Amino acid sequence: MRTYILKRVIEIVPTVLMITFVVFVMMRSVPGDPVVPLLGDAYTEEDAIKVRQAYGLDKPVLVQYVIWLGKLVQGDWGTSILSGRPVLQDVLVRLPVTLELIVLSMVVALVIAIPAGIIGALRQNTWADYTATSVAMIGVSIPEFFIGVLLLLLFSIGLGGWLPSSGWVYLPGTCPMMVCGVSLWGNVQHVLMPALALGVGRAAILTRLLRTSMLEVIRTEYVTTARAKGLAERPVVLKHALKNALVPTVTVMGLQVGFLIGGAIVVETLFAMPGLGTFGIDAIIGRDYQQVQGFALVTAFAFVVINLVVDLTYTFLDPRIRYA
Amino acid sequence: MPETKIRDISGGSTSEADLPSVTAVVWPARAERSESPLAQGLRRFRRSATALVGVAIVVALVLVSLFADVLAPRSPIASDQRHTFERPSWDSPLGTDQLGRDMLSRVIHGTRISLAVGVSSVLLALFVGVPFGMIAGFYGGRVDTLVMRAMDLILAFPIYLLAIILMVMFTPTAGLIGTIKVTAAIAIVRIPIYARLVRGSVLSIKEKEYIEACRALGVRDHWILFRHVLPNCLAPIIVTTTLGIATSIIVEATLSFLGLGTQPPTPSWGWDLKANVAFIQANAWLSLFPGLAIFVTVLGFNLFGDGLRDALDPRLK
Repeated sequence: MRTYILKRVIEIVPTVLMITFVVFVMMRSVPGDPVVPLLGDAYTEEDAIKVRQAYGLDKPVLVQYVIWLGKLVQGDWGTSILSGRPVLQDVLVRLPVTLELIVLSMVVALVIAIPAGIIGALRQNTWADYTATSVAMIGVSIPEFFIGVLLLLLFSIGLGGWLPSSGWVYLPGTCPMMVCGVSLWGNVQHVLMPALALGVGRAAILTRLLRTSMLEVIRTEYVTTARAKGLAERPVVLKHALKNALVPTVTVMGLQVGFLIGGAIVVETLFAMPGLGTFGIDAIIGRDYQQVQGFALVTAFAFVVINLVVDLTYTFLDPRIRYA
Repeated sequence: MPETKIRDISGGSTSEADLPSVTAVVWPARAERSESPLAQGLRRFRRSATALVGVAIVVALVLVSLFADVLAPRSPIASDQRHTFERPSWDSPLGTDQLGRDMLSRVIHGTRISLAVGVSSVLLALFVGVPFGMIAGFYGGRVDTLVMRAMDLILAFPIYLLAIILMVMFTPTAGLIGTIKVTAAIAIVRIPIYARLVRGSVLSIKEKEYIEACRALGVRDHWILFRHVLPNCLAPIIVTTTLGIATSIIVEATLSFLGLGTQPPTPSWGWDLKANVAFIQANAWLSLFPGLAIFVTVLGFNLFGDGLRDALDPRLK
């Protein structure tokens, strides 16, 4: 087990390198010159050459990547061509916003999905089950941004501005800058709609999955045995059935991470949040090479680490699964 | 049931008496044969009300997209500066947007982009991914390693990161070319799904006796692959494709929402939703319709796909 974890942790490095390298090459094959937006329309070719040299953009792509990597190892994530700010600083400012959004949306998803999935399975083919499955079907079919729009219509416009439609207030203790809006209540107000928008779709997917796997597990012999030996319904469901039914659910949660990153970008865009998602999409569209690399690095790392955590969760949920 | 006739017992065990006489075996007539798995599946499918609702939605949307020019009361791209932000009325049932374009006509025409990208991106991924998966699974060894490493490379990416960067690389444009670019970007991120799915099925199917029998008979590889292996992995392929269309439509709408889909003036629901959200405070109704259109379309394909899955492969349930 220990060697397995070690092997997987070591594997993170080449995967992250590969993703960042592919992104590096892809971004540089985007047609057009990235120094043009910096110089404006009235620039001379000499100016452009100077700027390219200053940022090392005149070198071959592979050399540029190695230089980027070399600096990265020393803790230098590069400096944005367009804003002139160090990339690492921007990433650190924006990371807490996105982390809070994603963690809370997963909490929303689990808080809805676990009870809904269990009830759907235990009361199969009753009105409770039909409600759970129909609502889940609807939830699976609505894109995050439309849920966000509906929430906006309800809470920001319909109910006379209960919740702010955009912006951000930091949680006390997470303010990464010298000055920023900090307030617990303000933070809750700002994060509520985005977390719901991102969480509801996930909840729907997990509910469907959990219900299906609970239905399977509940018919197995060990559940019958547990009931036969006189265990109360609660431990049978929560300890014996749920734990095993969670295995496929966790797999899908891992697979959902790729979608969650896209979802975070969309939800942050809709609610104008200063998170990593908006940072990433602005950098990609504006072709800010250094910022894109920073975004790709964080995203790739998070993606790989979460996939590893998911794999390791299996051994906890189902001790029969062992990694050599 | 074949007719049974007690044989004259001349020696042998008494249990033989229960056996039908050889001469009396009547092969079941063609009509009495048990249903084929496909027919059984279809029967199960027809019994599911939700699946039929899904089919109805999908058929309706296909008709709307085919006859968009006839159904739309006005041009989806003709702007009219005198009639901007009009509330829903008899004249324009869903109102008009910031350029005075008729929202109903835009929603109707948006069906085309959504369905075209959703369906063709999945089909493109299918036609590339399935052969890769079949070859990798069937031949194994170095071919398998090579193909699956390439697929892992794509899968190593969070799908939206890859799709977004691909779209920036392709530079989003309007019209047919723009639509093809979005289709290609979504297809690329979906290829590995098919390759892995088919490879897995092929790995189990190729160990079956009937494949061994084919080999023993000297049947050529490509014949075995297309006549015997492929038909046996069709059920999961069909289910993945139908549900995949739903996902692709969401991805297309998301890319469009981020400004990376088919560009205006081509009507696209994601783009319209984003454009209308900017005016949500004063014109709340505008953002509803493109969103509802996306929702109904995705719901249709999801219900259809769920029904197919339950019907074609009860084990997948």
